[in-house]
Amino acid sequence: MSEVELYLIQDGDNCTIYTLQFLRDTENEFEKFISKFKESAEYSEDYIRIAAFISRIARTGASERYFRQEGKMNDSVVALPVISSKLRLYCLRLSDKILILGNGGVKSTRTYDEDPTLKGYVMTLQKFENLLRQGIEDGSVTLTETTIGTDNIFEL
Amino acid sequence: MKRTTRSLEEMLGPIPETVKAEVDLSFEISDRIDLLMRERGLTKKQFADALGRRPSEITKWLSGQHNFTISTLAMLSSFFGQPIVTVG
Repeated sequence: MSEVELYLIQDGDNCTIYTLQFLRDTENEFEKFISKFKESAEYSEDYIRIAAFISRIARTGASERYFRQEGKMNDSVVALPVISSKLRLYCLRLSDKILILGNGGVKSTRTYDEDPTLKGYVMTLQKFENLLRQGIEDGSVTLTETTIGTDNIFEL
Repeated sequence: MKRTTRSLEEMLGPIPETVKAEVDLSFEISDRIDLLMRERGLTKKQFADALGRRPSEITKWLSGQHNFTISTLAMLSSFFGQPIVTVG
């Protein structure tokens, strides 16, 4: 079991951005992604594009069409970018106005679930979404149009 | 609710102005196409069929991440009978 908390990165009328923080780690999930690729000789240009997309989405909203559909049919896991790139940032898009940024990596297999590392990032988000939905049902999590409210420590 | 110690902008780091401008324009074009499609009541499949394109190509156009050519923009303006981008 790993303990994880939801952290707010930025709130706004058009989109509120969150990430996940494992209690055992010093960096949150989105910072881990940034640390790997921001200074990467091979992927820094792809990273800059993703950073610009996130910045734009934070200002204007997280429309479904801005994302690549990943995960399973019944979950909210998506990825950036849609355009051709080997880099993938995995996210939970709960609505046009709520986005949770996860970790990501270089996709070198046909599908994410053929790569144990990428599959792990997607599964983290899938499991977190399930716990979030349970929290909404039991009242420990509140969900409004633009915000998630919780002080829960989730056990993944 | 806990907040990250760094803001989104601090986490992302500097983004070159040229990339920001390109991404903003690309998203605005995709939003414009999406609006025109909805006004016409076109699904992605219907739109793709009408243009003789693959639905996957329309997905890229609507993603806000596609680098449109002048030729594609001219074709889309002609199809909708309205400008997609306005110069000047």
